[in-house]
Amino acid sequence: GTQSGVTTISVCRSPMVTGTSVLGLKFSGGVMLAADTVGSFGSLARFRGISRLLKVNDSTVIGASGDLADFQHLRQLLEQMVIDEELLGDGHSYSPRALHSWLTRVLYNRRSKINPLWNTVLIAGVYGGESFLGYVDMLGVAYEAQSLATGFGAYLAQPLLRAELEREQERDRLPTREEARELLERCLKVLYYRDARSFNRYEVATVTEKGVELEGPLTLEANWDIAHVV
Amino acid sequence: TTIMAVEFDGGVVIGADSRTTTGAYIANRVTDKLTPVHDRIFCCRSGSAADTQAVADAVAYQLAFHSVELEEPPRVRTAARLFQQSCYRYREELSAGIIVAGWDPRRGGQVYVVPMGGLLLRQPFAVGGSGSSYIYGFLDATFQPGMSRSQCQEFVARALALAMVRDGSSGGVIRLAAITEDGVERTVLAGSDLP
Repeated sequence: GTQSGVTTISVCRSPMVTGTSVLGLKFSGGVMLAADTVGSFGSLARFRGISRLLKVNDSTVIGASGDLADFQHLRQLLEQMVIDEELLGDGHSYSPRALHSWLTRVLYNRRSKINPLWNTVLIAGVYGGESFLGYVDMLGVAYEAQSLATGFGAYLAQPLLRAELEREQERDRLPTREEARELLERCLKVLYYRDARSFNRYEVATVTEKGVELEGPLTLEANWDIAHVV
Repeated sequence: TTIMAVEFDGGVVIGADSRTTTGAYIANRVTDKLTPVHDRIFCCRSGSAADTQAVADAVAYQLAFHSVELEEPPRVRTAARLFQQSCYRYREELSAGIIVAGWDPRRGGQVYVVPMGGLLLRQPFAVGGSGSSYIYGFLDATFQPGMSRSQCQEFVARALALAMVRDGSSGGVIRLAAITEDGVERTVLAGSDLP
């Protein structure tokens, strides 16, 4: 008999060029994301100048780990969405929460077709005076928290971030911007020491009421003093 | 395969080895892996020969059409984007690592890499293919931005020669091409000419 006109694309892909951890932390006045700038081809640090943080609009930044071709695809979709929205010219822009919700739907639907976008994404933003920090992964699992980390960061950085937040919570406050920045850099350093797919060049994105600031690429200073003690 | 492309002020230098293998047998020892997709835009092909030839043919057609509509030479970035669209959409079916390089009046010499998976990235220089693994160290140690055309040619020739010695899937002759506003100059380095 004849085939229908539908072509099935192969399922359950494997990631090719990947990014490692992305870190996110709320501070008093906004939210901060940090990620290194390497795209790994397996164990090879093949592309050393890739930006994994994306400014979506003046109130939101996203950071992605996982397959970077899929991240570029997401970037194209998001950039087109923002353009379409600007063309509407009604003064509204996508809130970080709305973007988080949209991303969740997209990623969950792709996973349900067994053709996932192989990414874990952190969404950070400030909208209507409130900070937002959310997580979505390739399965469509989504949640918000005061501190987030993807990949290796979930094991190595998240405990450090949470400990700091608990300490601040006892004094009924969030870290200051400088404290948050210093903490993220400390976490990135730990990840550089312990994550074999990391790199010592990184970027930081800070979102406040005033908007989005993307800094980088910056370089991490590693401390190898213990090498002399051992 | 080892393929490479380097940008310089005024154009690009591209290079490739000439070995095509079916397993351990060398099916073609004088392959041309530098394929034009337009007058001043080439692609360097690595991976499955069938896949890359098919994609390159499709892109060459699209570019020719686009160029007629545009009434001017197409941008290198457009060519790279066309490669990316096919390589990303059919990423599961294809085995293709492509470097797109050329010259256009707007941005001069440009090198774009579309590795397996369908990522698109612009770089000052790019390498690909199985042989590239063996020369990353050499490239990191030797590359300097702002090289002249002849320095780039020497850099590419040396790098390819080193890779071809170590990689069993690379060998034969070195095919080089320099693409500038004035056109494309192709050279072949064979036998004793190899660095």
